[in-house]
Amino acid sequence: MIKLFIANLKMMVRGKQALFWSLVFPLMFTVIFGFFFGSGTTSAGTVVLINNSNSQIAKSFQTTAEKSELFKIKTDVDESQAKDLLKKAQISAIVVVPENFGNMAPNSPKEIKVIDDPANAQTNGIVIGFVNQFLTIANFQALSAQPIFSVVEEKNNDRDLTYFDFVLMGLIGLALMNASVQGIAITMANYREDKILKRITTTPLRTWKFVMAEVLSRLVLNVFQISLILIIGIYFFHAHIYGNIGLIFLFSLLGGLLFQSIGFMVSSIAKSTDAAQGMSVAITIPMMFLAGVFFPIDQLPKWLYSIVQYLPLAPLLRMIRQIGIEAASPFTNPMNIIIVLAWIAVTLTISMLKFRLTDE
Amino acid sequence: MDNVIIVKNLTKKYDKLMAVDGVSFEVQKNEVFGLLGENGAGKTTTLEMIEGLRKPTGGTIEVLGFDARRDRQKIKERVGVQLQSSAYYDHLKLSEILDLFGSFYDKSTDKEKLFKMVGLENKANQYVRNLSGGQKQRFSIIASLINDPDIVFLDEPTTGLDPLARRHTWDIISEIKKQGKTIVLTTHYMEEAEILCDRVAVMDKGKIIAFDKTHRLIEQTKHPYKIEFILEVDDLEFIQKLTESCELEKCDITKLPGKTSHYELNLKNQKALNKAVGLLQTKDPESLTVGRATLEDLFIELTGKRIQEGESD
Repeated sequence: MIKLFIANLKMMVRGKQALFWSLVFPLMFTVIFGFFFGSGTTSAGTVVLINNSNSQIAKSFQTTAEKSELFKIKTDVDESQAKDLLKKAQISAIVVVPENFGNMAPNSPKEIKVIDDPANAQTNGIVIGFVNQFLTIANFQALSAQPIFSVVEEKNNDRDLTYFDFVLMGLIGLALMNASVQGIAITMANYREDKILKRITTTPLRTWKFVMAEVLSRLVLNVFQISLILIIGIYFFHAHIYGNIGLIFLFSLLGGLLFQSIGFMVSSIAKSTDAAQGMSVAITIPMMFLAGVFFPIDQLPKWLYSIVQYLPLAPLLRMIRQIGIEAASPFTNPMNIIIVLAWIAVTLTISMLKFRLTDE
Repeated sequence: MDNVIIVKNLTKKYDKLMAVDGVSFEVQKNEVFGLLGENGAGKTTTLEMIEGLRKPTGGTIEVLGFDARRDRQKIKERVGVQLQSSAYYDHLKLSEILDLFGSFYDKSTDKEKLFKMVGLENKANQYVRNLSGGQKQRFSIIASLINDPDIVFLDEPTTGLDPLARRHTWDIISEIKKQGKTIVLTTHYMEEAEILCDRVAVMDKGKIIAFDKTHRLIEQTKHPYKIEFILEVDDLEFIQKLTESCELEKCDITKLPGKTSHYELNLKNQKALNKAVGLLQTKDPESLTVGRATLEDLFIELTGKRIQEGESD
């Protein structure tokens, strides 16, 4: 069995295409999401500030904008050049502070102009929100008044978290699912079509040893997947992982086992390699979107959420997010573990009943 | 002689189709035993039931003294199997495949010797995809020998090979026999069975229709002797004389297609053969060949049909 395990690892490394889908593909997602949402990147891009006033308020506005981490400030262009850049989508918005703004003279202008691209609603919200916030404070100061009402934001934990942290845990689940469901289903169907499984049954090798070698070698691949995603996420895009890394690995590998069981189930039902490929894609692609890899699924319509929350990937993602982001024990919400174990039990039973190395 | 395989009343039924229908035979130690028949005759199904790959519907199989149903593992340790058109792992080198398959058995033999035996010593570090059809077949034969088995099962070992590669495979089979192993093979090439097999069982529609030593089977045919001749000019009077004096039936003399005055005579006994040869010599034919019947003649005689090339069962 050890030799078969080592041979499987060799074959995985040499079968470059499989390795690409298992490692490079999820890493591409990690890098793309890292560039968009990882910390160290400004979420609203570059904003051109044309400050035509030298009043105290205008200077203060410019300093505050420059210090803000919401966007980058560019000041070395005039309004027409800036409009040109906005059309080419090279900047997010233009903020124009008119001449004499903030001089407190009766005829001095009272408005700061924001020119933006209507297609870029999220960025526009950030820029206008920032300008509004500044002007509200400036108004209070001008009136020598103190605000009476204010908002207090209380986070459910005091940790710094980004959307990227949320997605990174999702990408671990995605990588495990793709590598295990598709990897096992297609490899086994292919072995059956090429009569490799039949050839194996002419030897005294027990079926359970064959399956075990396959499962263990896939788990090694899973460990590589999780490590690479975490390394790139944490060291290149400053993802925040607060929980125990060991527990992330442990529970992710439980997910690996679940997806391998699904893979074996698919291969025992599919009549050919093409069918196995089609079936595994039909399972993984909807699950990728409906189980919460990229966005929280509780935003879905209630009836849909009540179904998709039980998809195999959904409780797994809840579990590893709970461990990784919230630093909570996976047993805080034991229902997630129960659903994952139930899926393993169901898929494993079907696989054991249906999966055969031979035709009979 | 020891029997290493004993098959009694073996049957295999798929729904309404009787793929193997009450087959009984024994295979003796160190012989080359052939299962012959056209596609769909039940050869591979019979072989795979003996190998433990298919469950028989009825009957008993004993291999090396073990019951094929109860002691599958023990049997698998001591037999080697080459499947019809089986592939091997794409991403493992030949020597790695042999190492891997060797690890499945309690004992394994020296892989270098195996590579040398089939002339693949330079290919040990290559992948299966880099081999020619003949080389792949030779490799699949040595892969079945990695556990130094007592019995080797070869399913259509030369199907799809060119004549040279086929002869090379025959040499390998002879070499395996010299090592004291028993070989059970299926083939639909009659001449191959004639050359290689000590004994054959001819199968048709799931049943054994003839079973004996190869030469004896041929001798048992209605016409064990045959003469082929070409006359300078066609002479119907002479042909009539030949038919009468050799007591030939109409169907025993055939004018072969193609060349003019090219005939084949099928003769029942030595006396008729001597007479025909004597008569033909007086005619001074351009060509005269005296031979014996073949397994193919026997098959045609028994089934009334020729074996067609193609996918096997």
